[in-house]
Amino acid sequence: MKPSSLRLLLVLALSIAALLAACAVQNPARFPHLTHLVGLRCGKPGTPACLDCNSCHASSKDGARLASADPALCVSCHQANPRVVARVIERPAPVRAHIAFNHDQHLAMKELQGQCVSCHAGVVKQGVAPLPPMSECFTCHEHQAQWDSGQCAPCHSAKDLARTLPQSFLRHDQGFARHHGQVAIEDRQLCQSCHTQTDCAGCHDVTQGLSIEQRRPEKLESTLIHGGGFLVRHAIEAQAEPTRCARCHTPQTCDSCHLERGVSGNLPGGRNPHPPGWVGTVATGSSHGREARRDILLCAGCHDQGPNTNCIRCHKVGGFGGNPHPSGWQSTRSPTDSMCRYCHE
Amino acid sequence: MPRKFGPLAALVVGLGALPESAHAEPPGHADGMRDRYGWWAHSETYAALFRRALLPGPNGSLVSTDTVAPFYEYASLGATDLDTALGKDSLDIELGLWSRALFGARDGEPLFDGDVQIANARLRRGPLSLRLGRQQVAGGAARFVRFDGAELQAELGAGITANAYGGWTVLPRWNELPQYAHLGAAPDSLLRDSVAQEPAHRGKYWLTGGRIGWASAERRVGLSFHEQREPGGLARRNLGLDARAPLASSATLGTTAVLDLERARFPDARVWLDTRASSVADLSFEYLHTEPALFLSHQSVLSVFGSAAYDEAGSLATLRAGRNLAFDGAGFAQIYAGERPGARAELAGRWVAVSPQTTFVRLAYARLLSPDNGYHSLRSSLSRSFSARFRGTLEAYAYLYDKAIRGYRASTVYATTLSFEPSPALNLLWGASLAHSPYASLDVQTEVRVSYAFGPPTRRGGP
Repeated sequence: MKPSSLRLLLVLALSIAALLAACAVQNPARFPHLTHLVGLRCGKPGTPACLDCNSCHASSKDGARLASADPALCVSCHQANPRVVARVIERPAPVRAHIAFNHDQHLAMKELQGQCVSCHAGVVKQGVAPLPPMSECFTCHEHQAQWDSGQCAPCHSAKDLARTLPQSFLRHDQGFARHHGQVAIEDRQLCQSCHTQTDCAGCHDVTQGLSIEQRRPEKLESTLIHGGGFLVRHAIEAQAEPTRCARCHTPQTCDSCHLERGVSGNLPGGRNPHPPGWVGTVATGSSHGREARRDILLCAGCHDQGPNTNCIRCHKVGGFGGNPHPSGWQSTRSPTDSMCRYCHE
Repeated sequence: MPRKFGPLAALVVGLGALPESAHAEPPGHADGMRDRYGWWAHSETYAALFRRALLPGPNGSLVSTDTVAPFYEYASLGATDLDTALGKDSLDIELGLWSRALFGARDGEPLFDGDVQIANARLRRGPLSLRLGRQQVAGGAARFVRFDGAELQAELGAGITANAYGGWTVLPRWNELPQYAHLGAAPDSLLRDSVAQEPAHRGKYWLTGGRIGWASAERRVGLSFHEQREPGGLARRNLGLDARAPLASSATLGTTAVLDLERARFPDARVWLDTRASSVADLSFEYLHTEPALFLSHQSVLSVFGSAAYDEAGSLATLRAGRNLAFDGAGFAQIYAGERPGARAELAGRWVAVSPQTTFVRLAYARLLSPDNGYHSLRSSLSRSFSARFRGTLEAYAYLYDKAIRGYRASTVYATTLSFEPSPALNLLWGASLAHSPYASLDVQTEVRVSYAFGPPTRRGGP
C-alpha cells in the first residue's frame, strides 16, 4: 500500500475513533422533576407526603443559591436501586458564572407565589434549559442605564465575565462569526462592555507575529478561517475567493510570507512559478492576460511594486504588450496623476 | 517606522516576570458604595524550537538547515471607568503589544521584532467620547485598519449615533523586509538592495472617515465614509451602507455594501437572510457581488488592469438533533465573469456532550471547486476535558486535490494539544502538529504556551 493511502486511512481511522468516542460519552440523566412534583401518589393515607421544590432544595445561608438534593433523601424512598439514584443526581457540569441573586427574596414576592417554575420552567419542561436566560430577569428588572454603559457588575461577578458568553441575546454561536463585524459597528458600545480593541486585533491584526490559530490551537469549536491545516489548501482557496483574502490582507501579505520561506520569485534567483507559455509572443499568444483580468489580486501578490513592476515594461504606451485596460475603460483620474504617468509618460 | 524593537521587546518579555500583585476591582465593589473601576493585565508567552530548511532552495539547489528558537510575548493591559477632571468614570485606557525574540536568526533577520497593536485613551463625558492614540476602525466603508489619531463619537439621541475619525495609518512592517527584490526591469536592479530603497514617508499615509447610524430595538441602519491616502495620492474613497431589520419574528434581513466613489462601482455588496425555521433548525441565505480589482489601492498600477467581477450565492443550515448533536451544511456557487463557475460546500456534524468531562467532536466533509483546481477534504476534531483543569484535543485532516500539486494528490495534517489550568489565572498548553503536503514532505512543529492574567480579569482578556 502506498504511504499516501496509509496516511489517508489513518485520518479515516481517527475520524471513526472520534465518532466512537462521542457515542461513548453519556450525559448524566436529567432528574425527573415533573414525575416527583406532580406524578406521585401522595398526601393521602398510605402514601408519602407530597414534594415541592423545597423538599429537596434548601436555600443557602445567604439565599444566593439552592443546595443540590442530598442523595440520602432519594434513598429514603428508592431503596431498591440506589445506584440508579446516584447516577441520576450526578452533579451537573460546574457553572462558572455566578449571579448575585437572592432566592428567598424572590420566592417571597407576591408575583411568584413561592413558585420556582416561574423562572425555572426547564425543570418540568423538555427542551428548555433548567437555568433561566438573562432575558427572564429583564421581564421585571429594567437595567437600561447599566446595559447602555456596559455595566455588568454587581449582578455578574467581575471575575466571571472573562468566561461568560451571551446566551439569549447576541448568542455567540456558530453563525455569529459571519456577521460579527456588522454587529460590532452597529452595537459598538455593547461589544465594548466585554471586549477591548486588543481582542479585535488578536485576530484582525495580520502583521502580528503569530496568527490566532497558532495562539489558540485548542479552540476546535471556533470557526477560525485559517484552521485545519490552512497552508495545504491556501493556494486553492485564494484562487476560489480572491476578495475573501483581500478583506483583511493586502496583496503584499502573500509575498511577505513567501519571502520568509524562500519561495518567492522576488528573491534573487527565485523560481518563476508560472507555467510555460505564460508570457508568450505575438505569434503564440499568452495566457497571463486572461488570468489577470479574472483575478488581478492574485497578480498583485507578487507584482504590485508601483513604477517598478515588470508589467509596465511591456504594457506601457508604446510597449509590445498592448493596452492592458479592459474594454470600455474610462478613467476619472487627472492626466497628471502620478500613477497614470508610470505608463503614459 | 522604527525598526529597533529591542528595548520594547525586553520590556514586554519582562512583564512575564512580574508577580501577581493587584486586584481587578476595588474591595467592596459589589455593595455599590465604592468607586467603580476595573483593570486587567494579561500576558501570553510562546516558545518554540525547530530546525528549518528551505526545500527546494533557489533554483532547486539544496540548502542547509538551521535551528531556531523563537519566543513570543503578547501583553495587554488596561483600566476602565477611571475618574478624571472631566467627571466620574470618564476615562478608559488600553495597551496591547507583542514582541518576538528569534534566537538562531539568519543573517539579515532581525533578532527582535514587535509592534504596539493598540495604545489609546478614551475620554467620556455625557453623550460624547473621544479616543486618542493607536486604535482601529472596521466595518462600514472601512476595512480593518489601524491608525494613530483620534476618534470622536456622539450619541445624538433618538437612537442616532455618529462618529468621525482621522489619523496616520499604521504601516505593515513587511514594507522593509530584508532581501526584498522588485520584479522589475534591468535598470531597477539597483532597487534590489533594501538600503537603497526610499523609506516610507509615514506622514503621507493618512486616513479619515466617519459613520452616522440609527438604531431601534430591532432595526439598524448606518451610512459611512472612509478615505485613505498614500504618498502618490488617493488610495481609496468609499461610501458604505449597513442595515439589519427583522422580517418576521424568526427572520432577519441584513445588507452591507461598499461603493468606490472614484470608480462608481461596488467592490463588495452582500445581502443575507437569517431564519430560525423552528427550534431545531436555522437557515441562512446569502448573496455577494464583488470585484477584485477594486480592493487594490488607487495607487496600484494593477488596479487599472482588471475589471472582472464575480457573484456568489448560497445557503447555510444548522439542524439540531437533541441536546448534543447538530449538523451544519453550507453550499455556495460562484459565477465568474467569462469563466466556468466555482463552488464550495461543506457538511459537518458536531457533537457536544456536556458532562463533567465535556467532549466536543466535529466531523466535516468539504468540497471546493475553483477555476483551476479543487479538493475534497475530511476533517475530524476531538476535544475532551479529562478533569476541570486538564484538557486535550486531537485533529486529523485529509485533503484530496483534483489536480496534483507538484506531484502530490493528497495532504494530511495531524495536530494535538494538551492544556492544564493550575489556577484560573494560569494556563499551560503544549501543542504539536505533523503535516505531509506539496509544500513540505514532512512538517513537524511544536509549541508551548504560558498564559497568565494578573488578578481576576474584568474583561475577556484576549480573543
